[in-house]
Amino acid sequence: MIKSFQVTLLLIVCLAFCSSAQQAPTDKKFKFGSVDLSEFDTQVKGPDSAANAIKLFDIGSGSFDISPRTNGLTYTVTRHVRYKVVNKNAYSLADFEIQLYNSSSGGGAETLTGMRASTYNLVNGKIEVSKMAGDAKFTSRADKNHVIKKFTLPNVKEGSIIEYTYTTNSDFTFMLDDWYFQSAYPAKYAEFTFTVPEYYIYKLAKNGYLDINQTRPRDVKFVNSANATQTTYYLTDVPAIKQENFITTLDDYVSKLTFELTATNFPGSVYKDFSSTWPKLITELMDDETFGRFVKRNNFDKAFITSIVKDEKDSVAKMNLLFDYVKANIKWNEKNGYYGTQSSQKAVLEKKSGSTGDINLSLLGMLRAAGITCSPVLLSTRGNGFHPGYPMLSKFNSVVVQVTAGGRNFLLDATDEDNMPDMISRRNLNHEGLKINTEEKTAAWISLDNDIAGNNSVTYNLVLGEDKTFKGNIYLSAMNYDAIDRRALYKSTATEAEFLKNYKAKRPGLEISSYKIDNLKQSHETLFETMDVTIEDAVEDAGNLMYFTPLFFDRTKDNPFPLEERKFPVDFAHPFEENIRSVIEFPEKYTLDKLPKNEAFALPNKDGLFQVTYAVDGNKIAIKSRISIAKSVFSPEEYFLLKEFFKNIVRKQAEQIVFKKS
Amino acid sequence: MKLAIYLSAVFMTATLCVRAQNPYDVAKISPAMLVGSTAVVRSEECAITVKNVGSATMSYKTAITILTKNAESLASMSEYYDRLSSVYNLKATMYDAKGVKIKTYKSGDFIDRSLTSEGTMFDDNRIKELSFLNGVYPFTIEYSYDKDFNGFLSFPSWNPVTAYDTAVEQSSYTIQVPESSTIKFLKSKDLKTDSTLSNHVRNYKWSVQQVASIASEPMSVGMKEITPWVQASPNAFQYDNVSGNVDSWKNLGSWIFDLSKGGQNLPEQTKATVRSLTASAKTDKEKIAILYKFMQTNARYVSVQLGIGGFKPIAAEKVAAVNYGDCKALSNYMKALLETVGIQSHLVMIGADMPSLNPDYSSFGQANHMILCVPAAKDTTWLECTSQYLPAGFLGNSTSNKTVMLVTEAGGKLVNTPFYSPADNYQQRNTTVALTAEGNADILIKTSYGACQYEDHLYMMLRDPTAQRKALLNSLSIPNMEVVSAKYTQSDKDQPKLEEQIEAKGSQMLNQGGDKLFLTLNLLNRNESVPRKVEDRKTSFAVAFGFQDTDEVTYSIPKGYKVEFVPESVKIDSEFGTYTATAVLKGDKLVYTRVQRLNSKRYPPEKYKDAVDFYKKMYLADKLKAVLAKSE
Repeated sequence: MIKSFQVTLLLIVCLAFCSSAQQAPTDKKFKFGSVDLSEFDTQVKGPDSAANAIKLFDIGSGSFDISPRTNGLTYTVTRHVRYKVVNKNAYSLADFEIQLYNSSSGGGAETLTGMRASTYNLVNGKIEVSKMAGDAKFTSRADKNHVIKKFTLPNVKEGSIIEYTYTTNSDFTFMLDDWYFQSAYPAKYAEFTFTVPEYYIYKLAKNGYLDINQTRPRDVKFVNSANATQTTYYLTDVPAIKQENFITTLDDYVSKLTFELTATNFPGSVYKDFSSTWPKLITELMDDETFGRFVKRNNFDKAFITSIVKDEKDSVAKMNLLFDYVKANIKWNEKNGYYGTQSSQKAVLEKKSGSTGDINLSLLGMLRAAGITCSPVLLSTRGNGFHPGYPMLSKFNSVVVQVTAGGRNFLLDATDEDNMPDMISRRNLNHEGLKINTEEKTAAWISLDNDIAGNNSVTYNLVLGEDKTFKGNIYLSAMNYDAIDRRALYKSTATEAEFLKNYKAKRPGLEISSYKIDNLKQSHETLFETMDVTIEDAVEDAGNLMYFTPLFFDRTKDNPFPLEERKFPVDFAHPFEENIRSVIEFPEKYTLDKLPKNEAFALPNKDGLFQVTYAVDGNKIAIKSRISIAKSVFSPEEYFLLKEFFKNIVRKQAEQIVFKKS
Repeated sequence: MKLAIYLSAVFMTATLCVRAQNPYDVAKISPAMLVGSTAVVRSEECAITVKNVGSATMSYKTAITILTKNAESLASMSEYYDRLSSVYNLKATMYDAKGVKIKTYKSGDFIDRSLTSEGTMFDDNRIKELSFLNGVYPFTIEYSYDKDFNGFLSFPSWNPVTAYDTAVEQSSYTIQVPESSTIKFLKSKDLKTDSTLSNHVRNYKWSVQQVASIASEPMSVGMKEITPWVQASPNAFQYDNVSGNVDSWKNLGSWIFDLSKGGQNLPEQTKATVRSLTASAKTDKEKIAILYKFMQTNARYVSVQLGIGGFKPIAAEKVAAVNYGDCKALSNYMKALLETVGIQSHLVMIGADMPSLNPDYSSFGQANHMILCVPAAKDTTWLECTSQYLPAGFLGNSTSNKTVMLVTEAGGKLVNTPFYSPADNYQQRNTTVALTAEGNADILIKTSYGACQYEDHLYMMLRDPTAQRKALLNSLSIPNMEVVSAKYTQSDKDQPKLEEQIEAKGSQMLNQGGDKLFLTLNLLNRNESVPRKVEDRKTSFAVAFGFQDTDEVTYSIPKGYKVEFVPESVKIDSEFGTYTATAVLKGDKLVYTRVQRLNSKRYPPEKYKDAVDFYKKMYLADKLKAVLAKSE
């Protein structure tokens, strides 16, 4: 699903390129300090008309220079941005900061120069200028590799225009920062001009749902009479972009340019291709100290592996033993990354902690040492956004392991102790990963999507007494991602008593005795919980009627999609299923009033199913509710139906069972 | 030869003994310490040695056993430092469950980073930290470091019980002071102070053993009243080349006053503006409101803290030039504006979101904020100068009802900030619901909010319409709601009072049950849960602030329906508050009225059971439904 969305995007980008290549960007001049009276009247129409600030323009240019210091190429970005501050909510724009990287090991630095900033206020029809003074600039050493420069503008009021300009200079020409056309404020005009000398070949990618225009490339001169190419990318009337629920990351949908160095072509040296093809990239990756060589450095003793797999012969069983060992013994340090950060896999095991790369590549090493076929799968986490698909390593930030055993494939991720084979951590569940064949040095995209739905079921077996108290038991089962969540919740609570306390806190009237949890440690198995319960205060009186909600505490009370429209896909990460059953025996002297209707709702293509059924047998009533969502991503076009689907869930699950008192 | 063998035997035995004696073996923790615990502090020592008035050293060492995963946040070390202090000699080791060493950390493992918080332009707060990571529980961490203070205003306080569910086997705190210096301290009530004098050095020591863990409790005012603690500070200090004396609030206040003295000059242009703005104002009250508004319109909050700058306000002249500053700078600027028109005011040292200043113990650590007080015989005005929106004279929930210190020429003076009663903190709501036979409804909600509830809802007024709608859709409990319009107005900018008007559409207002329809009468203001029961509660409890909510909901019943049942009135009276709910059928209108009032008091633990009972009654009353049926 997500893939087809991207394809559409690429298509749009392509069309936009074809249609707009002729046009020139605005002929307006953007000079620092020259503010026109009319700019104070700037307004935005449409959904952003009440914006707290308007970006009047945001002009950037990226170009290269030869550093007198290193004699190498450096990348220079100059930015000039101007805002109209509409109200106080946008005062935060007047305090801004720029983070600079300074490699503590001398690997290069970023510097900031030419920071100028001013505030313009309209006083009695005249523009009053307040320039930022030196004592409004601050430098803070964030950690050994980062310096943060902070600035604050003087005399900012509602209606002020503020602007600032600065230049950054970077030694890191392999990794150019993304350029953002879109932000939390609407922009009248945003532009980026990229000038690149013939020595460098970059791949530029456009991201987001807006069509970024571009001019036809122009030839310009670089130093030493070399040639350079200049292209301007621009957008007018850029809408603001804001966070929504159920997305991977907003960064996947924002309008921006990304850059990847694909080759260098310096005079007098050979043409160096960096990422033109996957095989090329993989070959280099396999030669990399922190990846290929790290993977090879699996100098485990035979005895060590044997101590874990014992005399197990079955490859799936061996895989499970090693997987469980790594999960139990190495703790994730909450750092992503697809490469090793420690000297060797053995070092990771000794340290008992590591990054995603450390842990999963060590798992790979141990599996291989035990003779199991497996490959690393590179991916970009949900928080990091989707990978554009073309050969580019820098967008990856995580790795999992694909194992072939017992005639099928398994995906393993040992960063969380409750993960199971094929249940990688949710943050890694970003639809696609690149499987690396480390021997043949090839790669192929594989799906990370999990067809196995999260499964959560609740069963109430209760007897309703004449004192209007329910007595009986509750039976919970959780599988797959629901089991992972439930186990994590149980373990993160101090004691079982505390866990039950929290469980009860959200369920007024519930009292629990003899609680039991099964398969807490057996992450391969379904997690079961049983408890004996009494439920008070659930039955309400209304004259000669009595009623209660038979799904008790587990109904969906609110629609998770209250908003009328949506621009981004809804991404649940994985399919899921929820079953609630209630079997209730009631006193013979109660008469059941008319029952609600049995109803079923479905989304097109069986992507979603919801049904509620009622059945009576003597003085017993059984209610079943089942929700199933069969796919993980719904497009913005499907949003309305999804919203309606959940609307029906909320309505139907709130239905009451009514008794007549005799 | 013989001797060598003998020696090595002794040596080996010694080594074996040490092994066998692993002090951090989890098996050595007594069962009482394990009850309800997720971590146990095995030992902790904090020793402070004062060299002279401007210099001291702290030596700190601790060992903590992490029993379960959910105590992993305790498996870390962090120590703050700044330009006037340094942290060194860091050592850390990790042990397994048996107390066998797993890992010794190297100095490169400790991270040194800036602690400047978001929204702060500049300060020099830094931290050295280390996270201990281990996948197998339990394990024990041990770490130690030294810290030098080159100038100090108070000593680090001692709180051996730092977290819930954490027991303490032993912890001690010592302070060594030359006889020539004096210190003062506050301590928890049953803690014994051990004080000795030798070689002209006074030695104070406090210690605890075998402190069982404490569970967190709902609505708790905190564990300070039942756990051991000490806070101490020198009477005289030298800090960033300024010396002072804090043996009384009076002296502390004088010190602050001296720092701010002479910082109230304003440029002539500002003075002229101030005079012309207030020219037609008749009373001081009016002038204060005008100038406060002037400051709010022109200046904004930017935080810059450095050394003595953490106490000394930036001069008013500078604020006038750039129109920003921190709480001290803005309060002092406001003071200068008022001075221009002959109104005297005092800077106020206050602990925002902290307890009141302790009248018997003067120290810097009890305050974190500065506001301004304009005294008047009858009607003193309090100004929160960092706020862009609050009306003049209104203090929010974080600064009202507190003992604070006025900074006057005659020194510090303790006074109280205003208290807002439940009746001040009101929410008054009138809702009309026009129901249709299909369960759809047109809903009009008119609400006004006062004082602390005004403050709670102020942000809604400031949001853009899209964000307002989003917030309403997520917060109002109307089933399948559509927001038609939302409007927020503060008709009188000088009053902490906000009007809200929401037009909405709902569907599924009626819950079906066979051929009956159920209407939950309390549409918008239900207590959706009850605080959980606690056996043998230990800590006192309180609500954040007292308030009074009045709701009137008028439902018009659609044609073709009759109301079969209307619940009886509910009236609850207790020391925690009062509650009444009544529904009356008037023709085709069903009118529901509810008044809920909660008192803001501090209650002892034994009253908690009654409080739960009170909340439960309200919870049940809020669920009450009327029953509708199709009339034949």
